[in-house]
Amino acid sequence: MHFFVQELVNGLTQGALYALIALGYSMVYGVLKLLNFAHGDLYMIGAFIGYFVIQWFGGSTGLTIPVPLVILIMFLLAGGGCGVLGVVIERFAYRPLRDAPRIAPLITALGVSFFLENAALLLWGASYRSYNTSAFVSFSSGIHIGPLNIDNMRLMTILLSVALMLALRLIVDKTSLGRSMRAVAIDREAAEMLGINVDFTISATFFIGSVLAGVAGVMAGLVFNQVYTLIGFVAGLKAFTAAVVGGIGSISGAVLGGFVIGIAESMFTGYVSPQYTNLLVFGLLIVVMLVRPSGLLGRVQLQKV
Amino acid sequence: MALLELTGVSLQFGGLRALSDLDLTVEPGEVVSVIGPNGAGKTTVFNVITGVYRPDAGDVLLGGESLVGKPLHAITRQGVARTFQSLRLFLNMSVMENVTSATYGGTKAMPWESILRLPRARREEREVRARAERILSFFGQRLAGYRWDQPAYSLSYANRRRLEIARALATEPKILLLDEPAAGMNPNETHEVTELIGRLRTELGLAILVIEHDMHVVEGVSDRVVALDHGVTIAHGSFEEVASHPAVVEAYLGRDPDALTEAG
Amino acid sequence: MAINEEQQGPGVGVDEWVARSGAKRQYAPGWRGEVQKAFERVGWWPRLLIAAVIAALIPQVIGLNGFQLQVAINALLLAILALGLNVSVGWAGLLDLGYIAFYGFGAYGFALLSSNQLNPPAGIHLEAWISIPLVMIGGAILGLVVGFPSRRLIGDYLAIVTLFFGEAFVEFTNNVAPTKLGGPNGIFGLDPITAFGHQILTNTGYFYLLLVLLVLTMAVLHLLDTSRTGRAWRAVREDPLAASLMTIPVNRVKLMAFAFGAAIAAMAGAVFAAQQTSVFPTDFDTPFLILIYAGLILGGAGSVAGAVVGGLVVAISLEFLRNPTEAAYVFYGVILLTLIVKLRPWTRVVALLAGTAVFGLVARLIVGAISSSATGGDSQSTGWIHDLLHNWVIVPKNPTLFGDIGFVVLVALLIGLVQLRGRFRTLTLVLTLYLSACVWEARLVTVPSITRQILIGAILIVMMNARPQGLLGQRRVEVV
Repeated sequence: MHFFVQELVNGLTQGALYALIALGYSMVYGVLKLLNFAHGDLYMIGAFIGYFVIQWFGGSTGLTIPVPLVILIMFLLAGGGCGVLGVVIERFAYRPLRDAPRIAPLITALGVSFFLENAALLLWGASYRSYNTSAFVSFSSGIHIGPLNIDNMRLMTILLSVALMLALRLIVDKTSLGRSMRAVAIDREAAEMLGINVDFTISATFFIGSVLAGVAGVMAGLVFNQVYTLIGFVAGLKAFTAAVVGGIGSISGAVLGGFVIGIAESMFTGYVSPQYTNLLVFGLLIVVMLVRPSGLLGRVQLQKV
Repeated sequence: MALLELTGVSLQFGGLRALSDLDLTVEPGEVVSVIGPNGAGKTTVFNVITGVYRPDAGDVLLGGESLVGKPLHAITRQGVARTFQSLRLFLNMSVMENVTSATYGGTKAMPWESILRLPRARREEREVRARAERILSFFGQRLAGYRWDQPAYSLSYANRRRLEIARALATEPKILLLDEPAAGMNPNETHEVTELIGRLRTELGLAILVIEHDMHVVEGVSDRVVALDHGVTIAHGSFEEVASHPAVVEAYLGRDPDALTEAG
Repeated sequence: MAINEEQQGPGVGVDEWVARSGAKRQYAPGWRGEVQKAFERVGWWPRLLIAAVIAALIPQVIGLNGFQLQVAINALLLAILALGLNVSVGWAGLLDLGYIAFYGFGAYGFALLSSNQLNPPAGIHLEAWISIPLVMIGGAILGLVVGFPSRRLIGDYLAIVTLFFGEAFVEFTNNVAPTKLGGPNGIFGLDPITAFGHQILTNTGYFYLLLVLLVLTMAVLHLLDTSRTGRAWRAVREDPLAASLMTIPVNRVKLMAFAFGAAIAAMAGAVFAAQQTSVFPTDFDTPFLILIYAGLILGGAGSVAGAVVGGLVVAISLEFLRNPTEAAYVFYGVILLTLIVKLRPWTRVVALLAGTAVFGLVARLIVGAISSSATGGDSQSTGWIHDLLHNWVIVPKNPTLFGDIGFVVLVALLIGLVQLRGRFRTLTLVLTLYLSACVWEARLVTVPSITRQILIGAILIVMMNARPQGLLGQRRVEVV
């Protein structure tokens, strides 16, 4: 029972992170019909920014300012930095290709992803960096009731992720920006003709998605400690799966998909074998694509002839 | 037996009834025009006939055989060819290739036969090429000679429309569906289109179903006219009968407010 | 209304005038036009023959050593792979991101069939001339399997599924059946290929084998391209719905594209495995797939010659990037080439370079005067380029940090260059050129493997934005 709950907690944590990244994928696909392969790499960059913040303030064993403040600064800098980077990428790599056939921005996204990964490799090297969270956060705190053992960091991850998802839901449903995003997702030309600033809306979408990815990166660092330049690739693929399984273009779908993949992965690793987990995830994707390409919560697209 | 027959065809898009219990027939060698205001469902009829949309109810019969549910390329192979309201040419392929590509269903050579240039493949290529040349020469000097190897995007608008008709002809159809063939043409070109449709009927023996807004064309080519509005047939018969039909006038021009007070 | 037959000179929009003058083809003035005309007069086949003969004579005439032959072999393999990818991506317009799995399948297939891997239990140890065709057929079948989702999926969704298939392949070979498939350590001890009774054991032998296979593949694909299958593929790329309404069975045609591409990749994989006499899962990872894409995009998707040229160029130039001295040739060479192509006339290029040289000297003097440690380091490259430039570029005592920051600033400058115009652009260009040299000398030249990856990513981004049809492709007109 202990074990099950533990794996469930792990699954929720991992799932929350996948959901945050998947949200970025889904939103960008919604407004641009583009699968931004480079999105996972923003998660990686966020994680590194968080690491460097720790180093800046004295390193994991000698922090010069209070821990909550460090964590807050990590979130702000990683979120903000990744957000800006996302906007820059959209502006210069994808915007010129907005009316090109779909294959062009896809290949460009591949190029951007490759470029980012290797630029990170150049600047930061291939070695693993560790947040060494246990040096400044006590894992004995948190919730420990019966079989339920959630340490502080995992708890924060789950709660903060849910809070961010709710905030995003609010933005999309209640604000005019959210309305613009929905309009652009349905018909970009019509939205433009109705006076919606499409460029700004798309940039804002990229910004929000990238902020989420960056923040997710920091949380991943805090929970899992290990940070290296390739984490974006694998996490990106899995979050991708999550977005597609949930229904790409749908925000609720991304969240649902994220948790589904996270929990499935966790359970499989715990109960069956860690070796084949990736195969499971990929297989799940292929099955969903064949059976229900629009995903669990997605809508079927009609084509006008 | 009618060549093409639609019986009780209905189609709904969510809450919108695009077609309601529609009946339509085209006899062999006949030219039937479909008219109606925008949004009446005319192109939807074409889409249902060619299999792009599957009707919720009713049937589409070609020579007595149902077309509903069949794959699109098979429907075209059976003898239904069409052009599109907004052109859908293969722009980056040459004029000749646009026409010869449409002969795919009529040829049988397998890839390895093509690679090894076996006799059947060579023969089919020759036949396909000859047929394409014949079809293109149907349009006189417009799509002649040196034009064959030019990419389709280099053609003028009117020539693109002609090429689309040529491409449709290459599928060896029994009935040709022309979706607004005279759209965007000047009076000269419109006259040519009218003559062309006539020639298609007399020289090639094709039945033709035409969607058109230009009444000069409709008047010039049609054996019969069908008027649609909101997915329903509101009038059918000869051009004179339909053109003066009160429902048709109302659909296009609206009702005369004075007539209202006169009527009661 | 009668059409006017008699016109004096060009009547606007009149077909007859267009017909009279349209038949004349415009060629570039001067010698370029002459070359173009001569090129077009020679048919496709003679051109292929000439290129093949020249390529075959290269080892004889220039005398390549073993290492250079290996480079040539890698280049030929990449060219064949780009050709196969061209079938799905360039002709049929299907984004296959799992293409690398077919290559791996061919390699592993050969490894299992033509070695003792399956011999103890199953007694299978086939000769190459049997196993390679088998592997190609298997590859084609695998292509059909992977292509099967394309029936219901369009564009992006297909890209995802194929990408994951490619990933799944690496996971599979890494983890599944470690005794049979060798796990992460791969399979060793494969037979070399036997042709006409001779075992091919030398790099020269494999060079000629691959050259023959490349020429054969080009011929087969050209014959396909000019047949009904090629037309069908291109029609499906243009407009799948219109194609299906013109009697083309779109799904079947897409599957054929996958199958042909996969068979070609499998063939290349088998030869690759034989030449290496081993296979590992990491031979078939995503970075290599991106390399193939870079080659195809650079050369021109949709063109047989383009795919080959692109593959060769990418493979060979990236090979140069392994060695610091030769890497400089590629780096500075590409910069100079871009300037020459983009800035006309050549006097402007000279002026720009002179300006950059002056700027550099001045900058170095100023910076050196401010802080001696800022120019205390030595340029990291070697050879005559080092001798030429080391007093011109700024390289601090700690080149790494400078190089890293400089790299980020350089990317920002390059992005800015795209936005600026006129005088500001020229000034920024000078600054950018100087900074690139500094960053190269200080940092990039010391990590050639990373630099080449960065350049590949940059190639994809720049090509798609600036020249999507590649070097030899045709400019496409798209209706969105």
